[in-house]
Amino acid sequence: MVAQAVVILPFLQQLSPGIIAVGLFCGYWRTGVYQGRWDYPKRWVKLLLVVASVAGVAISGVGSFSLEAAASLLILAFALKLIEMKSRRDAYLVIFLGYFIIATQFLFEQGMAIAAYQVGAAIVVTAAMVGMNQLVSRVRPLGSLRLAGSLVLQALPFTIVLFLFFPRIAPLWTVPLPGASKTGLSDRMTPGDVAQLTRSDELAFRVVFDGPVPASRDLYWRGLVYSSFISGTWNVGRSLPDWSDEPLPPDRDSAVNYEVLLEPTQRKWLFALETPQSRSPAAYLTRDYRLQSRDPVLSVFRYRATSFPQWNMDPQLPESIRKRETWLPMADNPRIRAFAAQLFTTSGDADGFVRSVLKGIREQDFFYTLSPPQLPRENSIDEFWFNTRRGFCTHYAGALVFMLRSVGVPARMVGGYQGGEVNPVSGHVIVRQYDAHAWVEYWLPGKGWQRVDPTFAVAPARIEEGLRAALSAEDRASLSAFTSARLGGWDMISDLLFWSDSLEHRWNLWVVGYDGQLQSGVLEDLLGEVTSARVGAAILIGGGATVGLVALSLFWRRRPLRRHPVERLFGRFCEALAGYGWQRAPAESPGAFLARVTEQGGLSREQAEPVIAEINRLLYNPGSDWDGRDLRHLRMQLSRLRFHLAFSNTR
Amino acid sequence: MKDHIQSLLDALNGVLLGKEGQIKLALACLLARGHLLIEDLPGMGKTLLSHALAKVLGLTYNRIQFTSDVLPSDIIGASVFNRDSGDFRFIEGPLFAQVVLADEINRATPKSQSALLEAMEEGQVTADGLTRALPDPFFVIATQNPVTQTGTFPLPESQLDRFLMRIELGYPEPDAERELLRGGDRRRALDGLAPQLDADGLQVLQNSVDDIRVSDPLIEYVQRLVAHSRHGAEFAFGLSPRGALALLHAARAWALLHDRSHVVPEDVQAVLPSVVEHRLREAADYAGHGGGALAQKLLSGVDVVG
Repeated sequence: MVAQAVVILPFLQQLSPGIIAVGLFCGYWRTGVYQGRWDYPKRWVKLLLVVASVAGVAISGVGSFSLEAAASLLILAFALKLIEMKSRRDAYLVIFLGYFIIATQFLFEQGMAIAAYQVGAAIVVTAAMVGMNQLVSRVRPLGSLRLAGSLVLQALPFTIVLFLFFPRIAPLWTVPLPGASKTGLSDRMTPGDVAQLTRSDELAFRVVFDGPVPASRDLYWRGLVYSSFISGTWNVGRSLPDWSDEPLPPDRDSAVNYEVLLEPTQRKWLFALETPQSRSPAAYLTRDYRLQSRDPVLSVFRYRATSFPQWNMDPQLPESIRKRETWLPMADNPRIRAFAAQLFTTSGDADGFVRSVLKGIREQDFFYTLSPPQLPRENSIDEFWFNTRRGFCTHYAGALVFMLRSVGVPARMVGGYQGGEVNPVSGHVIVRQYDAHAWVEYWLPGKGWQRVDPTFAVAPARIEEGLRAALSAEDRASLSAFTSARLGGWDMISDLLFWSDSLEHRWNLWVVGYDGQLQSGVLEDLLGEVTSARVGAAILIGGGATVGLVALSLFWRRRPLRRHPVERLFGRFCEALAGYGWQRAPAESPGAFLARVTEQGGLSREQAEPVIAEINRLLYNPGSDWDGRDLRHLRMQLSRLRFHLAFSNTR
Repeated sequence: MKDHIQSLLDALNGVLLGKEGQIKLALACLLARGHLLIEDLPGMGKTLLSHALAKVLGLTYNRIQFTSDVLPSDIIGASVFNRDSGDFRFIEGPLFAQVVLADEINRATPKSQSALLEAMEEGQVTADGLTRALPDPFFVIATQNPVTQTGTFPLPESQLDRFLMRIELGYPEPDAERELLRGGDRRRALDGLAPQLDADGLQVLQNSVDDIRVSDPLIEYVQRLVAHSRHGAEFAFGLSPRGALALLHAARAWALLHDRSHVVPEDVQAVLPSVVEHRLREAADYAGHGGGALAQKLLSGVDVVG
């Protein structure tokens, strides 16, 4: 039962309190049964429990058959089985279910801490199995725990071999995990969404740059492009057609190479610096120059990319895209339309227009805040621009895009992450959810899409130094202690956090991110050409080596005592003599053997007797000292006898 | 010391003809402070040998003839009311001697046999609630008829284990037998036997048995023998640690008889059958104890050289 509790524990996050209550109730009943106070529950009680709990899961699972609901059901059954565990077979069932549940947990999380915990859980479950095979009178929990530990440890080498070599089969089906709420960004943004996001310090992704890390102000991780604006909400809109032929970057000198380890988002979009080119087969470039994965990212996803900062996007704009990026709803936000039209006539061209808008933001009393006032659905931009004047990136970016579009300049809002902190331990860049950001791209003929970040105008520190510098004291107080430590509170804690982060990063790099592609690379390094026969052979050899290792350690523990050097000498002598036809019986002592050989005419008495005396002295008389010289002398005597016997031909 | 031993052997050989090997074993057994069990048919010279041993060693000697109606008090002794002094006085039984010949021990009932147990192991007896020490040295030389004979109670393992050695005498060689027939009654030869040693002299010899050295390879050999008796399929059960100690100590005494300062494998092999046979039993044979075959199996199953 302890094993069960240990197995279920990591699921607490996923479980509803009702199931936990059922589990505790079952455990309580079981203890009663064990102590003999209560009987096993009656049939109708069990039926009632099952029906009630399945109904409970159905209600909490809200109709959809999601993975969480399935896991809940499984754990529920696991807990219920406790109260009708009567025979040995039932107990085994519970134990094997325990193993299964351990594996299930990895569907939800694959971190290093969880993996270590599950190894411990496996040991506990194994110990339960060991305990079941002990006599009732001699159950020793600590002993079985130790035995189980050594069993699991012995399995580890083979696990590593299988991990390295076992073919990575693409799953037959993918289980959709609910929890879009966990992802940082969404494909629709109503100003107000990003406020919550900014407060979360969950990890978004980690980046390893091949060269030096670019400055924070240049780290604009593009993920989404919002093209349509309807009643206060920005949308990505209909997806664009794919490239007929993918564009090639102009020059390779300014290339930035990096590898991203993206935490699961359940979505397809990936993040890259502009302008990217994919280096992984699982990722491709979309028409609006984003990287996208072919499948939703359900586990830590690893991809390489190259970015070319000098590469202009869309030097020529197709008409369909121009239409798409200038479209606005008809009657929305009349005041800002008028304001923009007037400003555009005074500034002349798009560049000047953007400059004067930014100047306006900088010089008038606009404020950057994470908790802006609510805005109405209709005329939301008018309300923001002329009345509230408080907001964060989405507000400013949205207003700028709207103004640009209203004067006919193609413009779009881009969502993603900005900045990131460098982990000083391992040198990779960590991007967290609070780095989420939105900015603007507008199109100039011949130059393509230009990035402009209006947030820079209102809160330059946000871009230059990160979120903390841009926040007011009030905003800061609303962050959790951890987050504020991350944002530079105390040195020691942040050092510790950096250190554990780099550990976690390596785990992702080498264990979770070890996918089929990486595997074939490793296999090629190890085996040369990868054929199924070779992989099979490698698994066999690896498994054999593991078993051999265990066997060797057993053998080493039971190895015979070190032989006396004279016994070794004499043993070799006897082997040689066996070749000449003189076979020593095991019961014959050295003296008796040589005496027999002498008797049967192989040796003369004068030859044999001094050797017998010498062997007996060296072997059996502890009172006489001897050293290497005596050994050498004996070896000489023995080889002389051998020589004599080899050529005497008496047999 | 060598002369002492040689004169002992000569004297014994003069009484019991043609049994040099058995006499040596018996002497080795006594030098190793062990009790001796002689098993053979009636009339083979068992009593003669034990009597000769006691006499040659210069020790006091008593003989108990076991029958099925012997009681423990017949062996240990009993308190007798003394009319003159008006109290009980303990009359020592035949056990109070330095050498006790327990003749035909397996004809007695287990109750009487076990009266010997404490005496043999502890060197003391308890009667009427009083523990009395037996003389030192104290040897029991028991003879028994083969278990196949009628009217015998086989000794249990626990009691057999207390004998260091069990030897058989066997029929004499033809030469020795002719000599025997020519010489008339051997009892007369016994009468003419002069003590070659006394209790102190025996003690000196016994102490020098303890001084015989044993090397590590030999210890390992003895250990392999014992281990083989425990794992080998042909043995019902293995040798006890006491059996192993007995084997080594008997081998020491044997080495002393051959005037060596240390034990060699031949010593172990020489004493092994008589030390081990009565402690082992064949796996399939629950009727009685295995013969020499078991000891031979043990010897040939273990390599002398590790």
